[in-house]
Amino acid sequence: MSKKPGGRLTVMVMLFYFTAFLLLALRNAVWQGYALALCVPAAIWGGTHVLGKCFHIDTLLFSLTNFLCALGILILYDTNPVLAYHQVVYYGVGLVGMVICIYFMRAFRTIRHLGFVMIAVSFAFLALPLLIGRETYGAKNWIYFHGVSIQPSEFVKILLILILAWFMSRRQFIPWFLCAVGCLLFLMLQKDLGTALLYYGVSLLLFFASTANLPLTLLGLLGGGGAAVMGYRMFAHVKKRVAIWRNPWSDYENAGYQIVQSLMALASGSLLGVGLGLGSPTTIPVYETDFIFSVICEQFGLIFGVCVLLIYVAVIWRGTTIAMASRHSFQGLAAMGATMMIGLQTFIIIGGVIKLIPLTGITMPFVSSGGSSLVSNMCLTGLIQGVASLNEDDLEEDLRLTEM
Amino acid sequence: MKRQRILFKCLAFLFFGLFLILTLYGGYSVATYGNRWFSSNKNPRVRAQKESVIAGDIYDRNGVLLATTDENGNRVYQASEQARRAVVHLLGDSQRNVANGVESFQTAYLYGFHSSFGELLGDFFSGTARRGDNLYLTIDSRLCQRMIESYQNHSSTSGKSGAAVVMNYLTGEILAEISLPTFDPLQVTAGVDADGEPFWNRATQSVYPPGSTFKIVTAASALKYLPELAEEEFECTGDLQLNGHTIHDYGNTVHGRLDLKEAFSVSCNNIFAALAVELTDARLRQTAENFGFNDNFLFKDMVVENSRYPVRSGRSDYEVGASGFGQSSIAASPMHMCMVAAAVGADGVMQEPILLREVQAPSGATRMTWESRVYRKAMEADIAAVMQNYMRYVVTSGTGSRAGTRSMIICGKTGTAESTLKGKPVNYGWFVGYVDDPALPFAVSILVENIDDGQGGGSTAAPIARDIFQYLMDYPERVTQ
Repeated sequence: MSKKPGGRLTVMVMLFYFTAFLLLALRNAVWQGYALALCVPAAIWGGTHVLGKCFHIDTLLFSLTNFLCALGILILYDTNPVLAYHQVVYYGVGLVGMVICIYFMRAFRTIRHLGFVMIAVSFAFLALPLLIGRETYGAKNWIYFHGVSIQPSEFVKILLILILAWFMSRRQFIPWFLCAVGCLLFLMLQKDLGTALLYYGVSLLLFFASTANLPLTLLGLLGGGGAAVMGYRMFAHVKKRVAIWRNPWSDYENAGYQIVQSLMALASGSLLGVGLGLGSPTTIPVYETDFIFSVICEQFGLIFGVCVLLIYVAVIWRGTTIAMASRHSFQGLAAMGATMMIGLQTFIIIGGVIKLIPLTGITMPFVSSGGSSLVSNMCLTGLIQGVASLNEDDLEEDLRLTEM
Repeated sequence: MKRQRILFKCLAFLFFGLFLILTLYGGYSVATYGNRWFSSNKNPRVRAQKESVIAGDIYDRNGVLLATTDENGNRVYQASEQARRAVVHLLGDSQRNVANGVESFQTAYLYGFHSSFGELLGDFFSGTARRGDNLYLTIDSRLCQRMIESYQNHSSTSGKSGAAVVMNYLTGEILAEISLPTFDPLQVTAGVDADGEPFWNRATQSVYPPGSTFKIVTAASALKYLPELAEEEFECTGDLQLNGHTIHDYGNTVHGRLDLKEAFSVSCNNIFAALAVELTDARLRQTAENFGFNDNFLFKDMVVENSRYPVRSGRSDYEVGASGFGQSSIAASPMHMCMVAAAVGADGVMQEPILLREVQAPSGATRMTWESRVYRKAMEADIAAVMQNYMRYVVTSGTGSRAGTRSMIICGKTGTAESTLKGKPVNYGWFVGYVDDPALPFAVSILVENIDDGQGGGSTAAPIARDIFQYLMDYPERVTQ
């Protein structure tokens, strides 16, 4: 017997999006708006129930991530409707990816020899942008294929989690180390600092989670700090990033423009926000990806922004609970790794947007526009959900055995 | 497996901690800097709102209309050019030549960003154009004009650049604030001498070496850390040697034997340099920081440039000695020096400067009324009492005699600061002081730039202070109600 704590939440989420999309639809007065007002709540309801029937997924976690995905679609529909329609398609793709990941976790209780194939694929994927990519915003981390642009590092995230969890569950530290460092080197070459920071953080935390070796973890932290200082000394663009972080107003017209606009958006929103559909969110550069949190805060206010953070906290809490309930080291580590990947990415981007840490160009999980990001994050939740369904199976097995 | 669970839980809490930091930092920074970010002239939201909202009116404390919006949506200022020029730095102008004037810093009120949801709905259904809030300032615009005239009337200050501030030291209300040279917001090109930087608000945005007015801080520090010195006598030989440099007094005077009060009243650099060295840099800096030096001023109603006391360690005796009389990289704005004098008058309590008296919604309802806010406790009340005595002596029988009026109890301190401007040595004349009268609790700070040779703060700034005190006595109802 499984309890469904997400049931009432799902209804609330549906109501929120129905009214929000309806409001924007009345303003824009196009049929797509009304379609979204009906389809988004329907999709949330349908997805929760259908998927909940097929596998024993965690409906609360699913509702939470659905809320975030729909929030992204809502904000995008307000600021740039075309991106919202794309995002709906990506969400569908993401659902498929999530189901595949659930299947994967269920089918391969341990990944065995597939591991080496996955390492090879990861490195190949990370090398691709260096060979055929184009530079955008100073980083070379995208590939373009018949009009479709893909960010390979987003998908390598999933493989990396599986590989690292596999090595750590078998206490194989040298391969773990080589694998993590290899990925980081590729990301350094791509100059994708945000993702490098993310990979580094998750690898290190995963190491700590499986070994509890605090001295070595601190050494790793020190090494990372050293690398950061070296990067600061060696690369001009890192120096610039840090300078902008310390005083974005000094070079407002050029380098500091993004962060200053973001801060103004936060200040304009104040506590309760200017309201959905109002304000000037599109004046913030890259409002659709990196700075979507500023848009949320401008329109819905800081209090709502904190609530969004709380939703992420709930996602982390849920992911951790599932990881803790797992009876197998590999699955637990995979679920925890995926959870930390989502959590750390959120921290890095929101920290950058509110000027707590230097800004690095990564996306806000589930919310930011972009197929690669949305699909990969849904795949990550797929890993967690797969572990959740396995836990559920284990519980049923226990129940059956006790009844016998 | 059990250990793994505990570790997972620890990691989850680590993340909760990180998210808590995000929340706290975000809340803190928007609460402290939000209005500064928002009112920045770089904010495109304000430009958008200006198209659709009629900006509110601005009045002074006596109900004089300083700025309004005409039927074409243009900003209109007072009819008299003299009146416009007197308050333009404080008020700002619609073209935003002046940074952080009321017109730009209070954008959020003036352009109706604080309107409630009900008001928005009402405007929406009634179809009338939205109006911003009306502001009532604490200033007396006529006093501002009188101060500009005073600079022009005295031959020692006529045509000079400078700045002056008058504030209520018990409440923090700013009664007047001017900056010279000034300009007419309606004819920005006419009579604007670009070299004189007329758009610069010298009262709040410029920091100057405070010169001997800083001796208020040095004396307060000495009274706190070396109280026995108050009774002692010092010998001024006029040629104190520190690290091979000689400290001279103004006009190379030799003062002879003096006690601290007399040294303060004749503004003896020799004795105050020796005092600073004896105090040590660390203790003098501590007192200066108690007075607000090196603090990040985040006043609610205005932007004031931060004042500086050197934070470098290992400064030589010569440098520390020069700091004793306000030289050697010490810098403060006229606004902050006014607060320093005000703190003495208010028994050691420094009030935050206040500029907004009341904000009224277009319907006439009060949106916000002012309340005085203590900025910090600058010194103990007993030290302030001694300082009051010293500053009174400066005016009765010291360098500040030209600020005194027969019927008022004036206390003050003069200063003549040396600096270089574009490679040339320049002198700045200072006077800071206050009226020791609870019925007229006002402090002033006067700065005159680039004074002539042979002139000092006592002969340039003090007479202007006297004119201000005279005005306060002549029109008490205009400044206290």
